[in-house]
Amino acid sequence: MSLTFDIFLLLYLIAAALVVARAKDLLAASIVFSSYGLALCLLWQYRGAPDVAMTEAAVGAGITTVLFLVAIGRTTRREK
Amino acid sequence: MIGVGDIRFATIVVLAAAGAAFFLLGTVGLLRLPDFFSRVHAATKCDTVGAGLLLTALIVLNGAEPSTAKIIVLAGLVLLSSPTTGHALARAAHRTGLVPWHAEEE
Amino acid sequence: MRRPIAISLAFLAAVPLLAGVAGLPVHGDPSAPVHTHVSARYIEHGVEEAGASNLVTGVLLNYRGLDAAGEVTVIFTALIAVLAVLTVASTRDADASNHDGRVRRSDADRRHPDHPVSPIVHFVVRLIAPFTALYAAYVILHGHVTPGGGFQGGAILGGLFIALTMVLGKERTRPLVRPVLAPWMQGAAVLTFAAVGAVGALLTGVYLGFPVDPSLRIVRDLMLIALEVGIALGGAAVLAMIFLQMEAS
Repeated sequence: MSLTFDIFLLLYLIAAALVVARAKDLLAASIVFSSYGLALCLLWQYRGAPDVAMTEAAVGAGITTVLFLVAIGRTTRREK
Repeated sequence: MIGVGDIRFATIVVLAAAGAAFFLLGTVGLLRLPDFFSRVHAATKCDTVGAGLLLTALIVLNGAEPSTAKIIVLAGLVLLSSPTTGHALARAAHRTGLVPWHAEEE
Repeated sequence: MRRPIAISLAFLAAVPLLAGVAGLPVHGDPSAPVHTHVSARYIEHGVEEAGASNLVTGVLLNYRGLDAAGEVTVIFTALIAVLAVLTVASTRDADASNHDGRVRRSDADRRHPDHPVSPIVHFVVRLIAPFTALYAAYVILHGHVTPGGGFQGGAILGGLFIALTMVLGKERTRPLVRPVLAPWMQGAAVLTFAAVGAVGALLTGVYLGFPVDPSLRIVRDLMLIALEVGIALGGAAVLAMIFLQMEAS
């Protein structure tokens, strides 16, 4: 059961990373990257690393997304 | 004989199943509904009621433990933050001039 | 033609990497070097040697204190670079608008003048803010016992500052970071590491050395907590400054 959950999260991480890399819409890429951070946070917590999970939740899923959104707001939403 | 434990177990199952059902319906709504406002409406139900019911199930499952207080605080936070998020999203969309979807008239 | 070359180069680069992975010990193998050397020492003696019940903090700040010091220096340098780029961009924008003869409108004007922040969001953020601050302080100060610490608590503080700035406006939150204090807060992590390192050098003769003697236990705990607070202030200041600078320009 635990292995299934691990594999599901890891597959999700790979898929999200591919979407982020391929997306032309930077806003969508930021949101998917935020969900990537959330999945990674779950995986850290599940693997017994709560310290890293807290950092990932605060920085990866939270603040990075805000900074990306501010940057997109100041520049352009579409990748050339 | 139905004991207290059975009733508790049944409560947990019902609450968790209802929470999961709300998540399922919310996800279906997010994918199928026609415009931004209705999708936000569906997605907010997911977070508020779905997560709220699941956390309530966890409260019953955990029993009278110190850690249950943390789950109660967590449930309160979800009940507070998730509708606010939905409201902020819908308001921002309305402010930027997004027109709600209407069914085509004859 | 370039694509096949790129693909074959990628595969060629993968071969030594995979060979390297094949040479690693099996994951979770108890006889792997990582489990027989430092980890065993950390787990067996970490609590009394490093003075932190949370082994992660003990390793991060005590055993590997120099690495953490280097880490915060890197983050601080990155902040300087980002601020330098953003400040140049914003002064150039300001110059350009001055040359046009246009009056530069304030941020509040430029954003929807007659559309203030939703009262609901305003209320909820103000309601949650003190609890978030309390949680951040708990994570920072309790970091040597439970999961968490300076980096995590600093990130929570920075996030709280960003949320407050978005809701209350820069005019209300900017005074929290006084111009006199701002540079000290941005450098807080690096400066704290230097100060604690100097104290350690005085006590043990080694830079960032921690006294092991049980009678100096309180000193060691204070050093750890000072490091946590310094890292937290520095981290929060880094995140808040990047956000403020991006919003300003």
